[in-house]
Amino acid sequence: MSEKWNNKIEKKSGMNRLEFLKTFSLATLAPIVSGQKVHGKAMEKATSVRYSSLNSSSDQVNIGIIGFGERGREIASTLERNEKARIAGVCDTFSIMRTRAERSYPDVKTFADYRQMLDDSDIPTVIIATPTHKHREVALDALDAGKHVYCEAPMASTIEDAKAIARAAREASGQIFQVGQQYRINPQHRDVFSFIRSGATGRITSIRSQWHNKTSWRRASAASERETELNWRLDHNVSLGLAGEIGLHHIDLASWYLNERPSAIYGFGQLQYWRDNREVPDNIQLNVEFPGGVHLTTICSLTTSFDGRYDMFYGSDSTILLRDKQAWMFKEVDAPMLGWEVYARRDRFHQETGIALVANATQLEAQGDDPYADDPNVESPLYYALDAFLDNYNFGPFPAVVGYQQGFDATVFSAKANEAIKSRTLQTIGEDLYDID
Amino acid sequence: MATRFEFLLLGENEPFLRAAGEDVIREIQRIEDTFSFYRQQSTLSRLNAKACNEAVPVNAEVFTFLQKVAELSRKTDGAFDPTVGPLMKAWGFTGKTGIKPDDGQIRQILEHTGMRHVLLDEKKRTVRFVRSGVLLDPGAVGKGYALDEAARLLQEMGVKHALIHGGTSSVKAWGDSPEGNGWQVAVRHPESVESDEVKLLKVIRLRNEAMSVSTVWGKTFEVEGKILGHVIDPGKGQPAEGALLTVCTGKSAMTADACSTAMLVLANKSGSVIDRIPGITGFFIILNNKDIVDRLP
Repeated sequence: MSEKWNNKIEKKSGMNRLEFLKTFSLATLAPIVSGQKVHGKAMEKATSVRYSSLNSSSDQVNIGIIGFGERGREIASTLERNEKARIAGVCDTFSIMRTRAERSYPDVKTFADYRQMLDDSDIPTVIIATPTHKHREVALDALDAGKHVYCEAPMASTIEDAKAIARAAREASGQIFQVGQQYRINPQHRDVFSFIRSGATGRITSIRSQWHNKTSWRRASAASERETELNWRLDHNVSLGLAGEIGLHHIDLASWYLNERPSAIYGFGQLQYWRDNREVPDNIQLNVEFPGGVHLTTICSLTTSFDGRYDMFYGSDSTILLRDKQAWMFKEVDAPMLGWEVYARRDRFHQETGIALVANATQLEAQGDDPYADDPNVESPLYYALDAFLDNYNFGPFPAVVGYQQGFDATVFSAKANEAIKSRTLQTIGEDLYDID
Repeated sequence: MATRFEFLLLGENEPFLRAAGEDVIREIQRIEDTFSFYRQQSTLSRLNAKACNEAVPVNAEVFTFLQKVAELSRKTDGAFDPTVGPLMKAWGFTGKTGIKPDDGQIRQILEHTGMRHVLLDEKKRTVRFVRSGVLLDPGAVGKGYALDEAARLLQEMGVKHALIHGGTSSVKAWGDSPEGNGWQVAVRHPESVESDEVKLLKVIRLRNEAMSVSTVWGKTFEVEGKILGHVIDPGKGQPAEGALLTVCTGKSAMTADACSTAMLVLANKSGSVIDRIPGITGFFIILNNKDIVDRLP
């Protein structure tokens, strides 16, 4: 999308996009790119911070990261690879993390209190990577301060918190609010989306997802107070457990591909191995029903790494497997010929043969490129999600690909999934529950 | 690095130690993602692809690391040289078959070998290669660097007694083993490397220090009836022949790694060079003629 707009802007004006942004007012730009007018107080705030950033010595977008734990550091190292971004600020309540940030990014401003970062007009965009149950407070303050916000998924740990964030994001219509359900932006998942939506699989009849990773999920710290804070994932009072941190992404992917939101969820959870006084299960199994009748079965485990992670979409004509950075289609014998698959690479999987799904394979071959060679430029889903956020900042604001509604929906179904596990009861989800009003 | 790291963490709170170990393993994976010569998306690969044409900005971690690498190369009189990749390739050590390149080819590669061709601009924090054909592969100190970082993080987290190693050739230890008085490690005798009988060459007690072992026989080829080891003498462009095995101990695992590699090249001239390097506590060499230089405490 960015390239497209870049080209349009260059054609229109003969300028590159940043020169364009500097020359034209945002009020002029917004209707061109988004087709909708944006007004209001929040808009003024957003405009002023945007200009102060772009008029600085660098044309990169100044970003503040709130929360410099493992995820915050992963975000930072991903942003480092993106020349559109500059890590301008890092906030963490723990001094060791601030020291780590200063060591890695000597020019970075560090903050112990996120509110100080929000007061800094040189930082127009923030990424919220705090524990999930802290998102509400931080997101509301960030939006109120006129910041553009990227909020890690889950957007919140309760439906009530998610509703408050979604409403605030809706109010702040001139500011970007993007949620970290990154598969919806990842090129590989988008390619498979087009296969499924175009009917290449026939009727999708069921879905299976797995996430296996042997890890304690525990974090260590020299300070016991910090250790309790760091291990919020293991505290069932504030954490949605594996259902929220992992299962959410499986359900969200299915929901996006099917264009339906879950209508009922049943689930089990067990604490099988990591018996270290934690309360959240280390193994969960969910069965998620969609209104059209399709069921997703997802299993998440912290006790085995065997067979890793995958998503499998079973259709009447073919099944699609997504694994690592690749995808394959397994056709039924009575499936109609699609044409292109005659030339496609085939990989053996025990007794099955998978057709490798590669976007634009024919075009790449015509250009003399090997479409099946490992692409060294393939980045992580997080990279593409952050890149979309940066493009939205430079060209937008457009409605985010993963906005407050998708973030809210995901909190609803992951909270319900966690409730199903805790109460061992079927949780039905009426459409009205997805309404933020 | 593509190697196995193992941690022995001593303490009473097992869940905490497990969590600390997992945290640091993730950090080592991040280091590998940044510095791997073989991963095309690593910062180092991007640097190798671009730095001949332009000054490439890098982050503080990468810049500081490269400054240390350059310093170690300078202090070892170039015997540790992270730009020997093209020579390794020419001799076939990156593939499966050894080849003896001709003298002209070696001379040509030597023209773009050496850290003098790598410009580090501290003010702009950029890296630039002044000649085309330069390739940086600091793999010889990669395990040591990862161990130094791992030790720092584990100590920050409050781990008081530990022995950690990467591929058994680089080790770092602090605090005490259950028996007390530091940690005892042994170097296997070269004669027993391929036999079932374990013969120990040296037993060393590490007290808050690191140890690195380098040998020429990690990967060897027979070329024209001569067995050649995989460590290249960057001055001559030929496989190093002066020493068979080196051991170096010191405060930093990265420095110990650089010195043990350099000593394979320096051989009997090691003493005067290694003595100049701060933090080195001892070394041990088996020279090519089987003579031993033992300067371990």
